[in-house]
Amino acid sequence: MPETIRRTALFEAHRALGAKLVPFGGFEMPVSYSSILREHAAVRGRAGMFDLSHMAQFSLRGAAVGAWAETLTVNLVANMKPGQARYNIFTNERGGAHDDVIFYRFDAERWLLVVNAANAEKMWHVVSASAPPGIELVNLHGVRALIAVQGPKSLEVMHDFVDADLGAMKYYSCLETRVRGLDAVVARTGYTGEDGFELFCDAEFATDLWDALLAEGRAAGLEPAGLGARDVLRLEAGMPLYGHELTEEITPLQAGLAWAVKLAKADFVGRAALESQFAAGDYPRIAGMILDGKVPARSGYPVFAGERQVGEVRSGSVAPSVGNKNIATALVAPGAAVAGARLEVEIRGTRHNATVVPLPFYKRPTPP
Amino acid sequence: MPQPAGLLYSKEHEWVKLDGETAIVGITDYAQNSLGDIVYVELPRVGATLAQFGNIGVVESVKAVSDIYTPIGGEVLEINGALEGDPALLNREPFGAGWLFKVKISDQGETGNLLSPESYDELTQE
Repeated sequence: MPETIRRTALFEAHRALGAKLVPFGGFEMPVSYSSILREHAAVRGRAGMFDLSHMAQFSLRGAAVGAWAETLTVNLVANMKPGQARYNIFTNERGGAHDDVIFYRFDAERWLLVVNAANAEKMWHVVSASAPPGIELVNLHGVRALIAVQGPKSLEVMHDFVDADLGAMKYYSCLETRVRGLDAVVARTGYTGEDGFELFCDAEFATDLWDALLAEGRAAGLEPAGLGARDVLRLEAGMPLYGHELTEEITPLQAGLAWAVKLAKADFVGRAALESQFAAGDYPRIAGMILDGKVPARSGYPVFAGERQVGEVRSGSVAPSVGNKNIATALVAPGAAVAGARLEVEIRGTRHNATVVPLPFYKRPTPP
Repeated sequence: MPQPAGLLYSKEHEWVKLDGETAIVGITDYAQNSLGDIVYVELPRVGATLAQFGNIGVVESVKAVSDIYTPIGGEVLEINGALEGDPALLNREPFGAGWLFKVKISDQGETGNLLSPESYDELTQE
């Protein structure tokens, strides 16, 4: 862990906007600007803009990047086409997750890997310790900024900024282009459950870009949004947060990410463990729950089926896009992780009823 | 937000308005602003006896659970039922419609343990 707290290139912009700043992943980051619920509503209804420059960006270069990366991760990498982005998970020998990440491929040899801020040092060690000769790695953490514009109006907001036909971009695609005349990468990715774009650019021009997006995007309803809103948005959309639904102990299979686990590919770290977990099928897993009452469930609260404790809450929040109900994920015994099952969450000594529901809690009405 | 006159404060950001043998308790504007959007409030039962500075309930924002400590001891006479359906009242009117509960004061001497408006201002401007 870094001993001193770092600031992103946009720190002064956050301060000028009156953001509440909190330590997150080693950086001082905005948790909210106006209010978490207001920022959440902006992203679901119009557009919100996030500073994600605390996430670590690693540049990967070499003809063998795809083949090498596949030995460390659960998903396919080598068959990605230039212009593609893909979700993936680095695993340990027990099948637990080192981190969940996105690979972006630009051409035959050049790639970008984006990892969680809290795992930046660990992940740099994981990749740099295993990269064979011929693969060049550059750690761009703190050197390159990342701004996300998310929400149904994000295309309208971004349209005039980018020298490319953004409307033609597919979800999970990426493009090297120019943003206001400067080299940048634009990807149609996000962590909110809405349509949206992520902009990777040099830190030195991040503030000008942020200010211009905010000024020109106001007409479309764009607002700055912090990590508080982002956490509610991702939970509603059923997306895992490292440290909660995925950890060194919680495998991608347990997190409900079997779609990303390609057991048929060549060997990778953790495959044997995942194969036997998959074959046995009796592992605790992440389930979505909606609570009956108004008391929010929080990470760590015990979950019961009758008198038996079957697991614990991993994330919880009030969910404006799920009828303002209290939603939660919990890691529970397989028998309890069945849609419709009635469970109880113990909150400050009192049991509260909850119903297991399929994930995600929320799906956007009109995907792009 | 201007603070109403005549209130005393605790270091835990609760306010108390004295009215003879009874008192009304709430959380300050500073507290609601630090917490952010409040989504749930858990209050003591009517009839419960509270000790000064005891933990008597919680306020939950979107992000976190925070304990509430009563700035004055006594028997709970009434709780603000409006907060059950509309906890965001605490954000909108922390000194007014967002009050928490009313107590029958057990020991008037306890008011000597509270902060004046000036001292509370100093505390929040540190």
